[in-house]
Amino acid sequence: MAVPARRRAADVVAFAFASFATAFGLFWLAWILWTTLSQGAAALAPSLFTQMTPPPGASGGLLNAFYGSAVMILLALLIGTPVGIAAGTYLAEHGRYTRLAVIVSFINDILLSAPSIVIGLFVYEVVVRSMGHFSGLAGGIALAMILLPIVVRTTEESLRLVPDQMREAGFALGMPRWRVTSRIIYRAAQSAIITGVLLAVARIAGETAPLLFTALNNQFWSASLNEPLANVPVVIFQYAMSPYDEWHTLAWAGAFVLTAFVLILNLGVRILARKGRNK
Amino acid sequence: MNETAPAIRIETTGQDAAARDVKIDIRDLNFYYGKAHALKSVSFGVPSNAVTSIIGPSGCGKSTLLRAINRIFELYPEQRATGEIVIDGANVLERGYPLSDLRRLVGMVFQKPTPFASSIRSNVAFALNYYDRLSKSELNDRIVDALKQAALWDEVKDKLHLSALSLSGGQQQRLCIARAIAVRPEVLLLDEATSALDPISTAKIEELIHELRERFTIVIVTHNMQQAARVSQRTAFFHLGELIEFGNTSEVFTNPREQRTRDYITGRYG
Repeated sequence: MAVPARRRAADVVAFAFASFATAFGLFWLAWILWTTLSQGAAALAPSLFTQMTPPPGASGGLLNAFYGSAVMILLALLIGTPVGIAAGTYLAEHGRYTRLAVIVSFINDILLSAPSIVIGLFVYEVVVRSMGHFSGLAGGIALAMILLPIVVRTTEESLRLVPDQMREAGFALGMPRWRVTSRIIYRAAQSAIITGVLLAVARIAGETAPLLFTALNNQFWSASLNEPLANVPVVIFQYAMSPYDEWHTLAWAGAFVLTAFVLILNLGVRILARKGRNK
Repeated sequence: MNETAPAIRIETTGQDAAARDVKIDIRDLNFYYGKAHALKSVSFGVPSNAVTSIIGPSGCGKSTLLRAINRIFELYPEQRATGEIVIDGANVLERGYPLSDLRRLVGMVFQKPTPFASSIRSNVAFALNYYDRLSKSELNDRIVDALKQAALWDEVKDKLHLSALSLSGGQQQRLCIARAIAVRPEVLLLDEATSALDPISTAKIEELIHELRERFTIVIVTHNMQQAARVSQRTAFFHLGELIEFGNTSEVFTNPREQRTRDYITGRYG
């Protein structure tokens, strides 16, 4: 009798602790969403998505910032995804038992945890200074460098989760490695790899430090990658630091949209992962 | 090119064993997992167009033998085989022997069904598209033919475009057999191909093995001695990496020469 009672007590304590921890985590998320929503409510109108960032005292929206962020995230995806998936494939498949793979994996871990401001400074030195000015291109490159190691790691892990039996089945049919990888292994790991890419997008969507040194900001509409490009995180940063109420409200609205975007992206990832499991 | 006399091999039980053509001549095969010596100087001849079963307790090297024949072990750098495995006069273990030729010649089906995450049709077409430039109608014929040979056609003919993962375990395994025979191999290796299946699916596959043996040289690894007795003409008994006895299935089961074989078959260990 004594043992079951103790076990029940342990169960209750563990359950209470776990529930509290969950509530604790959710509490902050809810608070963040509520604060950004209530503070930015005044600016949450269609004009947020149709008008440019205004000068002080005028009304406006964040269209150019949303556009700039979208373009730079897209650029980062274009650069980082193919390279990241290819490198992850090397680590998990082709280079599996090689020394090089161990070294690359280690260096990738370092890149993964490099402070983003360091990456911003690096791109500033290499791209911005050699071009002579800030640009959306430099911003996209900086974001790509943050996205890349995440994609490498998640691709490698997703591929390693595919049982060796699938590889053996492919090889036993006489297929060369590239065909086994591209036709069998990728298919089996598809949703996990896409999940990794989406999580990497969620991660770079809010990056501010690397963009301060690279894309800077642009108060006006500019579609050129060769010029400074407006973007949501830096606009939030600058507007929040300003003394103008209209700018504050816009910054809150931008923060809300950004948070909601990341939240929706994560929900999408969940749905995708579930679909992948049920397949 | 290697038509030498067969190397010293274990004496076969029964007379007509030697009468059949030898398809796979295994000569002094040794296999290592790192330092572990998994197969010890194994020599015997697998007869063509018959079913040979490999039996023995867990860890005796049954599966290892199969994995040596199609060289699938080469995926893992710490595994290594020495000796010769001669198929149609050529030593397939030789470095220069092209892997894609070997694996076209020798198909393999694994313990757990391994359907690829694509349609039933493309599972079968997968290797076909690689080996041969086939016209659409030829490809279709080959797919239908393979599915028929694997006794799966009637169950899937109306849903070839559906995911192979939607099939039952037994159907998936027959799909794997269809996939393997679609490229027209001469040898089929079945590594405990029914141990993950229910009795009805197992019976279907045993029946299938029975039909296929006229066209293929089949080697099956099995834990199930009744299965070995039912489907095979030859049986090889392995113990601790050594080939103990090889001969006609009926004789190995009813009148084994070796005490160890007798003990295993009567269930003293295993």
